[in-house]
Amino acid sequence: MKRIVQFTVNGESVEVAVTPNRTLIQVLREDLGLTGTKHGCGLGDCGACTVIMDGVPVNSCLVLAVQARGRDIQTIEGLTGNGKLHPLQTAFIDKGAIQCGFCTPGMIVSAKALLDEDPRPTETEIRTAISGNLCRCTGYQKIVEAIATAAEAMSGKGVS
Amino acid sequence: MLLPEFEYHEPSTLEEALKLLSELGGNARVLAGGTDLLVRMKQKIEKPKHVISVARVPGLNEIIPRNGHAITIGAGTTAATLARNEVVRDRFLPLALAAGRLGAPMVRNRATIGGNLVNARPAADLPPACMVLDASLKLKSVSGERKVSVNEFFRGPGETVIEPNELLVSIHIETPPPWSGGSYIKLGARKTLEISMVNVATMLTLQSADGPILDARIALGAVAPTPVRAYAAEEMLVGAMPSEEWFQRAGEVGVGMCSPITDHRGTLEYRCMMIEVLTKRSLGLALERAKAWKP
Repeated sequence: MKRIVQFTVNGESVEVAVTPNRTLIQVLREDLGLTGTKHGCGLGDCGACTVIMDGVPVNSCLVLAVQARGRDIQTIEGLTGNGKLHPLQTAFIDKGAIQCGFCTPGMIVSAKALLDEDPRPTETEIRTAISGNLCRCTGYQKIVEAIATAAEAMSGKGVS
Repeated sequence: MLLPEFEYHEPSTLEEALKLLSELGGNARVLAGGTDLLVRMKQKIEKPKHVISVARVPGLNEIIPRNGHAITIGAGTTAATLARNEVVRDRFLPLALAAGRLGAPMVRNRATIGGNLVNARPAADLPPACMVLDASLKLKSVSGERKVSVNEFFRGPGETVIEPNELLVSIHIETPPPWSGGSYIKLGARKTLEISMVNVATMLTLQSADGPILDARIALGAVAPTPVRAYAAEEMLVGAMPSEEWFQRAGEVGVGMCSPITDHRGTLEYRCMMIEVLTKRSLGLALERAKAWKP
């Protein structure tokens, strides 16, 4: 039996009819067309499916859509504002932190969750924050540099 | 990966949840964080007809310090919350450390202490910490409630004394006495997203900063069908002046209390070697913290 579930995605309220066995990532990708979030392992081991739920990063492959009722979800699509890239996205591009790009949405979302809580992280804190996101291409170095660069750019935003 | 079909229940009170458990008992699984249950369902290891989510039951994820001498932790408290909580870090450090090593950041934001205990995997992170802290587990059902010591909770891999109609609702821990210190060490091939090859939690209580050992607790995981207390090693340390030699001996005795296996994570021989090394190392860390104890 389907249930009607209402939650907020990237600031917009959505309502979907789902069977209980559908996961949040399935609903985001298949029902809402938000395919930025990637399906990797489906078991919470790779982080490709990372979204921010009620302010904290979670594996959307292990959240039932029915459990998201009333919650606030942010996906990678929510980072772009007014057609402009988020400083994290710019930094990833500039620093060469993207190769195949499959881990990138999850990495950026984890990084955003980190910077939302701690605008001036140390390198260790950055590496810990992305320790649930696997990358098979880059060896992580450029990703860490990109996040550090973005942190500087974001906190250095001058007072007008 | 697809989940099989199931009937979903989302009780909004504890009474409702307990009633559902008593009616559906063996055909139902409790869903908290989902980082174990949903994985097992996707892997077709479990196929419950009913899933009872406790996410909306009020009060299950509260940490309540009690009068400075104890703490009650709701079973629905996430590992992330435990790792960060100031009271837990200050007075119940092995639990905060263990919670901080569980899985990875996203997993910690969902995984709960209740789930980690009831799932009873031999290599789980939180049981050894709870065991050296002598945690008391409150189990509730429609017929009433009972308290079980965490040291008597585990029966085998995936098996505990919990009945099908019972829910683990809270974990109660008394504050360790003055001059107590503890630690948690997790050994794995990686620092993250890892199931332990060997893990060890210890607590030491000294008579005074420079005094002999009044109480010692050592719990080991991933080296037996359940997490185990190394009681023989603990008894040996009581009354001794803390030293590397004593801790080395405790490690050697600890090996004898374990029955590790060889699997894809490590061999029996290596695990035995590591039990010795990590027990000694963990006791050393516990000693440092015991000596540095502040009221």
